[in-house]
Amino acid sequence: MGALAAAIAVGLGALGAGIGNGLIVSKTVEGVARQPELRGQLQTIMFIGIGLVEALPIIGVVIALMVM
Amino acid sequence: MEYGSPIIENVFGIPWLSVNLANVLMIIIASAIVFILSVLGARKLQMKPTGAQNVMEWLLDFVKGIVSDTMDWKTGKKFLPLAITLFTFILVANILGVITTIVYNEEVWWTSPTADPGVTLTLSSLVILLSHYYGIKLRGTNHYVKGYFTPVWYLFPIKLVEEFANTLTLGLRLFGNMFAGGVLLSLLVVLTTMNVWGFLGGAIPYLAWAGFSIFIGAIQAFIFTMLSMVYIAHKVNEES
Repeated sequence: MGALAAAIAVGLGALGAGIGNGLIVSKTVEGVARQPELRGQLQTIMFIGIGLVEALPIIGVVIALMVM
Repeated sequence: MEYGSPIIENVFGIPWLSVNLANVLMIIIASAIVFILSVLGARKLQMKPTGAQNVMEWLLDFVKGIVSDTMDWKTGKKFLPLAITLFTFILVANILGVITTIVYNEEVWWTSPTADPGVTLTLSSLVILLSHYYGIKLRGTNHYVKGYFTPVWYLFPIKLVEEFANTLTLGLRLFGNMFAGGVLLSLLVVLTTMNVWGFLGGAIPYLAWAGFSIFIGAIQAFIFTMLSMVYIAHKVNEES
């Protein structure tokens, strides 16, 4: 049961973060398509956002390891 | 294949204090590599830069861009040495673990120092403590304390929780990315060395993931430096 709980925790965490990252990148692509000269700044902001979102599945992995 | 770490437990007779010798070794190696490369790049400065000096100047401009994105350059210039130290150290430390892993006497001796939560949480606690120190030093105690009660006083508990959440996520993000990358690499090594079919199936994914790990290492070093500067700027900037 511990392995099952860990798998569910990691899977749901990765699902949510995947949707979130997709939204961030798609909006960044839209922004670059509208104003290509802002590409550098938008990429910086995008990486910060991705970094913030990535923390959640990573914490999910840590909790999953603790559960196992 | 599970290998242990060379951990010395109960240092100085204190029951909760234990030291991972592999981390100590890898931190010294990473620091030495960063020091030697920086000294080589900054020696014999010329007006028309060549070779290593070009790389150092590009690195300096890049980190300068990170700092000046988050705060104005007048307050930001005293954080440039901190930012460039964090960036180069974390970058080299991340890449060291991707290059290879050395196991001696069933214990892992050569791995990323940043693939250990102790190291990354130490780095992030250091950054958060520095942000408090410079917040008090540059803006005065009154402004610092008032920062916890703006815009409304009942946000105080949330602001207090935010400090701990920042420390945890900053450290655990770096640890998790490096740790997960290392686990997947070692699983692919096991698959590749199993038999012929494992080698055929695992060799290409191994190369792809090793390349991607180097990319992730660079991105994580960038994000760590960027967020450190954001947290410090949050405390230091006048208007916030």
